[in-house]
Amino acid sequence: MQFDNVWKLFAAQAESAAAVRGLSLDITDRELLVILGPSGCGKTTALRMVAGLEEPDRGDIRIGGKSVVGLEPKDRDVALVFQSYALYPHLSAQENIRYPLKVRGLSRAEQDRKVARVADMLGIGRLLPRRPGQLSGGEQQRVALARAIVREPRVFLMDEPLSNLDAKLRVHTRTELKTLQRELGTTMVFVTHDQAEAMSLANRIAVLNAGELQQIGTPDEVYDHPANVFVAEFIGSPPMNLLKATRDGGDLVVAGGWRLPAPKRGSAIDSAGTELTVGLRPEGVQIVAGGQPAEVVAVEPFGSEVIIDVRVNGEAIKVRAAPDVRPEPGRKVGLRVDPAAVRVFDNSSGDALN
Amino acid sequence: MKAKTGTPVAGPATAAAGEAPLVRRPEKRAGWLEWLAVHFVFLIVCAFFLVPFLWLLSAAFDAKATAYIQWPVAPTLMNFAHLFTDYDFGRVLFNSLFVAIATMILVVFAVALAGYSLSRLDFRRKDWITYGVLLLQTMPISATMVPIYGLARQLGLRNSYLGLVLISAAIELPFLVWLMKGFFDSIPRHLEEAAWLDGRTRLRALFEIVLPLAGPGLGIAAGLSFLSAWAEVLLVIILIDTQDLTTVPLAFYQAMRTQGGYTEVQYGVIAAMAVLYILPVMVVFFGARRFMVRGLMNSTRGL
Repeated sequence: MQFDNVWKLFAAQAESAAAVRGLSLDITDRELLVILGPSGCGKTTALRMVAGLEEPDRGDIRIGGKSVVGLEPKDRDVALVFQSYALYPHLSAQENIRYPLKVRGLSRAEQDRKVARVADMLGIGRLLPRRPGQLSGGEQQRVALARAIVREPRVFLMDEPLSNLDAKLRVHTRTELKTLQRELGTTMVFVTHDQAEAMSLANRIAVLNAGELQQIGTPDEVYDHPANVFVAEFIGSPPMNLLKATRDGGDLVVAGGWRLPAPKRGSAIDSAGTELTVGLRPEGVQIVAGGQPAEVVAVEPFGSEVIIDVRVNGEAIKVRAAPDVRPEPGRKVGLRVDPAAVRVFDNSSGDALN
Repeated sequence: MKAKTGTPVAGPATAAAGEAPLVRRPEKRAGWLEWLAVHFVFLIVCAFFLVPFLWLLSAAFDAKATAYIQWPVAPTLMNFAHLFTDYDFGRVLFNSLFVAIATMILVVFAVALAGYSLSRLDFRRKDWITYGVLLLQTMPISATMVPIYGLARQLGLRNSYLGLVLISAAIELPFLVWLMKGFFDSIPRHLEEAAWLDGRTRLRALFEIVLPLAGPGLGIAAGLSFLSAWAEVLLVIILIDTQDLTTVPLAFYQAMRTQGGYTEVQYGVIAAMAVLYILPVMVVFFGARRFMVRGLMNSTRGL
């Protein structure tokens, strides 16, 4: 499935503020692609264009090599799970799941067989006689999922289907969904604003901002080598520390005098001038004896790890440490940086330089 | 006072295992004087509205009914019999029922489609049309009496069911179109979109998913259009002057007029007519009320 330079402008929108701007994506068969971005970044619009609920103004969308632009939603053979689930409130769970099969004119026996199989797969057999109003959010979500799966569509589209669930159920369902997608072997495009959800689910993540694709890559690529400052800040919790830096020979100087070794010379960094931005993941900084002096401001224990807020000459930096590292606030500590963890970004464009 | 402050009273339940104390809210008890005052007012209001009906019932079954409320002097069913023998009331009732039901069907069909269009479809000048519909509602029908008469005469719609139904429906439509637009607005678009993706065309999704959910609105539209066509006087006077097409309100008018000058007014017959006139209204009201409540409970949950 491909997006080819897709543009979408809503009425009264200037071209510079288009909902989706020149989006090109190549989604592989059987892949679970997550489209990640803040609200209003155009990710839902992109999804709705695949479903046929919106039409692109320019560009082409192809499924299985064939353009689907201009096709009615009913003729696209894609299933969409809405954030609100969109279960038909006047029909029982069973009738909801059966509906797409009925539309297709399958025999009653065949319908029953397929509904039963999907209900069994998702463990919702006992919910079948109930109406959506009598189901909890998690149960509704499963019924909505069942209605999508029972169709055996070419592509699953998921529009933040987990965001209405409570935290515990969300994590549980996330794992389940990933397993399910692998077993069904159907391409899935999953839209979310939750970076943790994206990281845990995706084969690849496409990060969108203001209608434009920022980066596409595996969760590890996106996390370790963010393509620009936006991705660096959007992915990871806490996000990457971004520090203004000046280049001084082979070193990068941040926070009023802290000298970091610049990663391999001769690259784009050299031609980018002396004013740069340095990105450090919280786990790329260690607390050591000696090293760069810093003052501990706050300690946030999370059980499996501790986030320590330190200041270097007034500049705030977050450091991820082992759970037993508990310096008192106000204490002086030393910082060391793993040279391989230093990311350098261009100051004006925000693009990564290494 | 202990219970009111909510402090746990040392009792077997609270002392037992440190459970949450059972706070019992003191029952609100109105004084008997308040009770009496409220019921007295209720009584007066009820009496005010029920007295005319009391007269209707007593007079309809009284061969010697007068303009005053009285226990039937000569209990009888003859008033009803007279209606059908002397006044051809069967025909009149049929006319009224036919026009009201036909108007209702036409209105429900039209508001379902018009309300949906205004709610969901994009077309040129939609705002103008939407507000134009509302503007129509503000026009008093008495102001358009003359043009309606002229138009109906030229189109040959006078003295016909068709004319009565078409024009009654046209008068009902603006408000009910707005009402239905509101109902459709409250139905999430996602439901429809889900049906499209499940393989339905726009029209079938409308009939299978949207209209069932708009049921309460359609019920209200049906009830209101039936009742107002049933009660329509002015239009009937403008459009109908043959005895064959007389409806109940006009029959009333005639009963009063023809009896009035020459013989004594047949209060019993008029009351019987009124009882039969009210009956379908009651049926529609109770029928629609139950339908509306049930519809509302089904459709608003789980949206």
